[in-house]
Amino acid sequence: MNLFRKKRLFIFLIAFIVLVVLIGYSISGRENITTAEQFINDTVGWGQRIIHAPVNFVTDVFTNIEDIRNTYNENQLLKEKLAEYTGLIYENQELSEENEELRNLMEWMDNESIRDFNPIQATVISRSPERWVEQVTINKGLQDGVATNMAVITAEGMIGKVQTTSQFTSTVQLLTGFDQFNRISATISREDSDDIFGMIEGYDEESESLLFRIIEESDQDLEEGELVVSSGMGGVFPAGLPIGNVVEVVADQYGLTRTALIEPAADMYDINHVVVVDRALSDAEDEEEEETD
Amino acid sequence: MKHLYIPLFLFFFLILEGVALELLPVALLTSELLIVPHWVLIFLVLTAMFYEKDTTYFSIIYALIFGLLIDVVYTGVLGVYMFSYALVIYLVLGLRKVFHGNIYVSLLLGIISVMLADVAIHVIYSAAGVIQMVWNDYAIYRLLPTVLSNIVFILILYPLFAKRLSKWSEGLLAGSDSL
Repeated sequence: MNLFRKKRLFIFLIAFIVLVVLIGYSISGRENITTAEQFINDTVGWGQRIIHAPVNFVTDVFTNIEDIRNTYNENQLLKEKLAEYTGLIYENQELSEENEELRNLMEWMDNESIRDFNPIQATVISRSPERWVEQVTINKGLQDGVATNMAVITAEGMIGKVQTTSQFTSTVQLLTGFDQFNRISATISREDSDDIFGMIEGYDEESESLLFRIIEESDQDLEEGELVVSSGMGGVFPAGLPIGNVVEVVADQYGLTRTALIEPAADMYDINHVVVVDRALSDAEDEEEEETD
Repeated sequence: MKHLYIPLFLFFFLILEGVALELLPVALLTSELLIVPHWVLIFLVLTAMFYEKDTTYFSIIYALIFGLLIDVVYTGVLGVYMFSYALVIYLVLGLRKVFHGNIYVSLLLGIISVMLADVAIHVIYSAAGVIQMVWNDYAIYRLLPTVLSNIVFILILYPLFAKRLSKWSEGLLAGSDSL
């Protein structure tokens, strides 16, 4: 009996040590997951793809019924907006032509700017049941050109970034799961004065909004509802991806800087089709890394 | 062949957990309540109660394997679910000798194991610094809704699998003797 107890205690201690080692290993900020994990992710992802189709069909039927009920109101609203857009299209065309001419004048060797990106279409196949880990799985991986840290967007705006990649699937960390280790350089564009620059520094669960720490103020104060977009200065995401709208501006605890609370533009719960943003303009560091690979 | 049924069903529930949140109404998702499906664990509890003989430890091994799979696929923090699930199933294996296997006992053991596993996950995540959540908030917003929603799942799963698991178990010892 004594020996049996000792054995049990021994196993428990070993299990505990293994647990600590595994956790320490996995949250130590590694670049990408190991081959074994990639294999597991791909295998489970294969099953998820099969299961996802019928489940999606059922949920779609319910959302469709809901949608049909709202159709009339939406249609009215859209007609109004459409009238506005025709004007915008002309303006846009002229501006982009002008932009191109100016670029040619400046004789840029390559026409790539920090705004350009190659879109990779993907579908969300599962969402982590662990609600503390805000993570979804998409059906594109290394084989399709997805790499870690690429931004992921929907039609409405940015939803997160690629956290880990396997060969055929990858996991996306949602904006709602961002912490101070995942910053996004962002900006609020101003017409007649300096733009406001800052960092998205994490997600505040209490107010359900992103924290946008303002680094460079403008002469004009921030207003509610202004659109925050990525600035492209971080070197990872391209510029111009919409992130969210300003809800409120608060001073930090020392009164030195100010933080704006941003409501994410995209719906984080109803995500189906996403676009992985592969920044066209790769910076020098990346190229060097690729060469060494 | 019968040996394969349990891992296959566990794999199926593992995949199903990934789409579980899509089946819930959006109002529940956007509210503060955190409902977490522990379907793999519930199936493991039923396995421990009806499939195991006194001398076998399949369910603990499955708990380790599928706990690790959940960690790899859904959270990225390895070992948390693996440790919690294996610990809980070990306790269930100890308790099953005291009780008879019927629906009330399954319900009781199911509730206890979901609670224990979720608390263990909370403790480990807090210790690792992955989350910061006060115990009071945790109990109201996560533990209670999680346990309640998983009770529904036990009630669905029990009539489907209780008899089948005992039936699969019949050939278990005979098969291992012949090996």
